[in-house]
Amino acid sequence: MGDMILRTLKRQPPDGYALAQHISGTSNDVLQIIEEGSLYPALQRLLKEELVKAEWSISSTHRTYQLTAKGAKHGEHEVSRFENMLEGITGVLAPGES
Amino acid sequence: MSWLEGLFKRRRVYAELSEEIREHLQEKIEELLATGMSRKEAAAAARREFGNVALIEEDSREVWRWPSMEDLATDVRYGLRILPKRPTFTLTVVLTLAIGIGGNTAMFTLIRAVLLKPLEYRDPDRLVSLSLKDFHQNKRDGSFTLKRVDEMRASSKAFSAIGAFLKLPENISLSGRREPEALVGARVSANFLDILNVKPRLGRSFLEEEDAPGAPPVAMISGRLWRRVFQGDPQVVGKTATLNATPHIIIGVLPDNFAFPFVGTDIWMARPAEWSVIPPAARPHVTILNGFARLQPQVSLQQAQAELDVLNRQYVLANPDRLDAGPGVSIEVASLKDQFVANVRPTLWMLFGAVGFVLLIACANVAGLLLAQANSRLREFAVRATLGAAGGRLVRQLLVESLMLAVAGGSMGWLLAKYALYAVRHLTALQLPRVGEIRPDSMVLGYAVVLSIATGILFGLFPSLQVLRRDLTAELRESGAGAGGGSSARPRILGIHARGILVVGQISLSIVLLIGAMLLIKSFARLRSVDPGFHSANLLTMKITLPPARYDTGQKRNTFFGDLLERLASVPGVQNAAVALSLPTTKDWLGTNVSVEGQPVVDGAARFESITPGTFRSLGIPLRRGREFTARDNSPAALPVVIINESFGPTILAGLSARSGPRRTAPTRGPRQNWLGGDRRHRGRCARGRSGHRSRAGVLCSYRGASPANGLPGRAHAG
Repeated sequence: MGDMILRTLKRQPPDGYALAQHISGTSNDVLQIIEEGSLYPALQRLLKEELVKAEWSISSTHRTYQLTAKGAKHGEHEVSRFENMLEGITGVLAPGES
Repeated sequence: MSWLEGLFKRRRVYAELSEEIREHLQEKIEELLATGMSRKEAAAAARREFGNVALIEEDSREVWRWPSMEDLATDVRYGLRILPKRPTFTLTVVLTLAIGIGGNTAMFTLIRAVLLKPLEYRDPDRLVSLSLKDFHQNKRDGSFTLKRVDEMRASSKAFSAIGAFLKLPENISLSGRREPEALVGARVSANFLDILNVKPRLGRSFLEEEDAPGAPPVAMISGRLWRRVFQGDPQVVGKTATLNATPHIIIGVLPDNFAFPFVGTDIWMARPAEWSVIPPAARPHVTILNGFARLQPQVSLQQAQAELDVLNRQYVLANPDRLDAGPGVSIEVASLKDQFVANVRPTLWMLFGAVGFVLLIACANVAGLLLAQANSRLREFAVRATLGAAGGRLVRQLLVESLMLAVAGGSMGWLLAKYALYAVRHLTALQLPRVGEIRPDSMVLGYAVVLSIATGILFGLFPSLQVLRRDLTAELRESGAGAGGGSSARPRILGIHARGILVVGQISLSIVLLIGAMLLIKSFARLRSVDPGFHSANLLTMKITLPPARYDTGQKRNTFFGDLLERLASVPGVQNAAVALSLPTTKDWLGTNVSVEGQPVVDGAARFESITPGTFRSLGIPLRRGREFTARDNSPAALPVVIINESFGPTILAGLSARSGPRRTAPTRGPRQNWLGGDRRHRGRCARGRSGHRSRAGVLCSYRGASPANGLPGRAHAG
């Protein structure tokens, strides 16, 4: 979830609702089967690790999120880690091939 | 950020979170309303898609809490499950640590109790020891004469009180109750408890008038003796105990653990100079008293020293003839505690260093074991990492495991230390000062806990770092690729390095310890192979204490020992039997004054020994020249004779003839004797200079001199 948020935030600073809509639109509806609300614990985690920052916009009552510099760097790293992990799992699931 | 700030920040975060979730739902409902849903339907749909609001809010809040104790509990549970699965490993680690931590804890307790803690008397910093130094004779912890102590008392202003005690423990026989038994006695000045500021457990301390010659015989006893012999009788004060065949009234019982001036003292008597070995007339003039005192408030050690320097100069000027008034004589003030523990200080610190090394080696050892263990667990870690465990989480797991091992080792070490300290407390042969104050208290417990945690982190760090640095996924990929031991195919740079460092460190530490131990063993072997100058094989010894009240004259004592030797000689298997004042290699010896005719007397220049005929034969010491004593030498009509040893000649004679000045008499000896010199009364020379007496001066042996009175060991040579 964290990775998806970071990737989405790379493009624009939306609020939580818009984030949820965007992710469900781009992630082949993975989020359709997961509850929208699970976005929030993940967002809090990113906030705590200072990968994103949040601001209350003056015009509306919305809270918008923005990627920090640390978050941008982390996002790239996470992608490669994710790929590694997939590779690892594949290794476990199909041992002794070679 | 302080804890409080953190709390307020969290509150704000929670409020914002609730607000945000409400906004989210609101937006969703509005969007659904736009599609034509009723408000009720829209609200229900929004909630359905969002999920359980309360749960999600709780989960989001969870993020901001401290790493929960639950995680830690999980780690501990996991450790508890996994450690018993490797019993050999776990047991090895725990035992290794127990030895390391136990040794350190025990030594720390000793160092703290003996060297670091102030003496357990009130205002211990004000307590000082006084000793006489003689620069010319290289004497450091010299003792005072009673006269000197009295003069210091009369004229010194720096001390609130000055006390004295007989420098050697006395053998005291307690009789009349059950079997007679020999006890350790101390002779102290009447004010000793006032100076130390100790209250007796029962009864009273000595009165000033009980220090005067001819005062009624009174004694104080130790708490130990009170319980053992008097069954803890609360009415013991005022009762009579027969000490050295003289009835003494018990006036008080001292607190447990009171060990002044000697460890293991059971009887205290007043009149410190009244040593039964010394003839009464000579008592004020012999240097047998050790001084101690309490400084006046506001008086520093330096001021006291300055005052004593002045007093000493006055004394030297006023008494140029006295033995303790030589030109090199000075009085030294030192902290009583330092003086007390001076002889064990280097040994204790050295042992502390040694157990420190042992602990480091134990840590290195355990770290090596854990490293090997971590290598074999890499696959496990890789799987856990793949399933989402962060590196930090794995390290925490490892640290928790090593801490658990350390705590287990520490607990065992604590038991070990307690046992070791119990042994130390009860090994009287160690002669450790302040032994009664040794106990593992909360401070020591804290030390053990901190030590365990520190060692746990220290040896847990190596495998953790290794796990952190490793590319675990690659590890898994390779082992998954079927080799099973795939990790060994790769150069394990870090693993090898970490282990290499450990091995190198461990070996170097071990070598340091080994060299230290070898040196000790070598010294010991050398000590054993040193020719003591006598044959110790088949030599039996025993110690006899004659109560001076019943054996008050030399005649009576001689008769006793004569009878004893006769009866001993008739025991089958006994070849020879003899009696001497002290045994060879023992430290408690008497010095005697020596003068060559026409030369000044040297105080305590030679060790003095009183023996019966046959002593040299019993000990297997050959005579270089002359003859042994015979029974005839002891008759009143015979000329007084002595036997000297080889080192007596060069050291004493050379030293004496180098001096000049007015002739002095030797006040320690009642009837003056010409030991040596002009009248050539000595008849022979006893063997080797090294005949068991480590005295730098020669040994002067006399049969007739002072007839042994007290504390007389007898020895029998059995075939």
